[in-house]
Amino acid sequence: MEHRQRNGYLVSAVIVGHFILISAQAGGGHDGSVLEDVAFRTFAQMQRLLTSARGAVAHTWSHYVELRDVQDRNDALTLTVADLQLLLQEQRALAQQARGLQELLGLRQAVDLRTVGARVIATAATPYVRTLTVDRGAEDGVHADDAVIAPEGIVGRIVGAPGPRASRVQLLIDHLAAAGARVERTRASGIVTGSDDGTALRMEYVSNHEQVRVGDQVVTSGTDGIYPPGFVIGTVASVAPGPELDLTIRIVPAVRFSRLEDVLVIVSDDEPLPPLSVASE
Amino acid sequence: MTTIGIALALAAALLAQTAIVRMVASEGLPTDLVLIVVIFAALSRGRLAGLWTGTAGGLLQDMLSGGIIGISGLAKSITGVLVGIAGSRFIIETIWQHVVVIVLASTFHTVSVLGVYALVGAVPAATATFVLSRAAAEGVLGISALTLARAVPVAVQRLSRRRAARRSWAVSHHG
Repeated sequence: MEHRQRNGYLVSAVIVGHFILISAQAGGGHDGSVLEDVAFRTFAQMQRLLTSARGAVAHTWSHYVELRDVQDRNDALTLTVADLQLLLQEQRALAQQARGLQELLGLRQAVDLRTVGARVIATAATPYVRTLTVDRGAEDGVHADDAVIAPEGIVGRIVGAPGPRASRVQLLIDHLAAAGARVERTRASGIVTGSDDGTALRMEYVSNHEQVRVGDQVVTSGTDGIYPPGFVIGTVASVAPGPELDLTIRIVPAVRFSRLEDVLVIVSDDEPLPPLSVASE
Repeated sequence: MTTIGIALALAAALLAQTAIVRMVASEGLPTDLVLIVVIFAALSRGRLAGLWTGTAGGLLQDMLSGGIIGISGLAKSITGVLVGIAGSRFIIETIWQHVVVIVLASTFHTVSVLGVYALVGAVPAATATFVLSRAAAEGVLGISALTLARAVPVAVQRLSRRRAARRSWAVSHHG
């Protein structure tokens, strides 16, 4: 009887402990603990090893056993296309910024994005959070809130304190993620957030008076201070008048988050960077 | 399941969930491998093992995912305790009895996680289809794991018996 009572107290204590832990973070005051840091670093090492092992096996198979030459050429072409897509986005961002500033202020401003290439080594351990782990961290100049992009568009941002050689990326489709955005054609501004189903995005705070159409491209506006302006977020999939004064806009993201292998982290400081990977050059 | 066995199973489940599954299925699996370990630990070792396995596994999941730390830990701890209680009150032996336990535990766990998210004002995907599809997938996965765990020792035993029979045949014919 006493044993059972003691077990009951133990269960209650653990549950109350969890509630205290959760409520301490509910106000947004969570900054990462030593234990979290250690767990993240330890598992990141193992995840990196697993990814490397898988990469080595895949590399051997595809390059030396099956279609060696074709695979090499395909890899090179894929990288070239990725580079060109990125260049196109950078040029678009540059052009938009320059045009807007020239028109309004008569000034010129150049975008000089400093990026570091990173490989995805793991996904989130729970299905309720949309995050990835990449193999670049503080030693590579990565900081919290650095934007992460892919050749197709915006991926997300670094969340939490990065480990020495690994960081967590909150994907734009996470239900807690958001980015300042505008419709490229009409320049209608709003905020893009992750949706409940974790596959599409929502654009909020766009007035019912704005002429937004299905197929319009949505790009970052730069107003959030995280994502540089002019980078592709996705395409409008549906538009409907909302219950209040705003439109209900659903966006199909440009990036296929489930197939991400390599990304670029836009490094936000002036510290010297390690050599860029091929994808970021 | 020994304590070391549970710890190794938890680590393997976490690594599989985060790094291995995406190698074979880019869209990921709609299952929670850590929950499966918690359920089997609770069934084999009782409610306290369920509590600690749920706490450790859930907290590690939260820490690795970058979300609110404690949500998975809380849901898995309670689920582990409840499965442990069920395991001590009822005889759970057959495959179908395990299916019922896993599906109920998975449903309870998903609803708990969503409930705690709702309490802190951050509700992720929450449809009945989502809850039921997860429960079904985890049921299938749990049963596959159980079948495998039961079949492997039997197969090994059969193999060693066959070898012994061959050896004795060879000895009787050549010796």
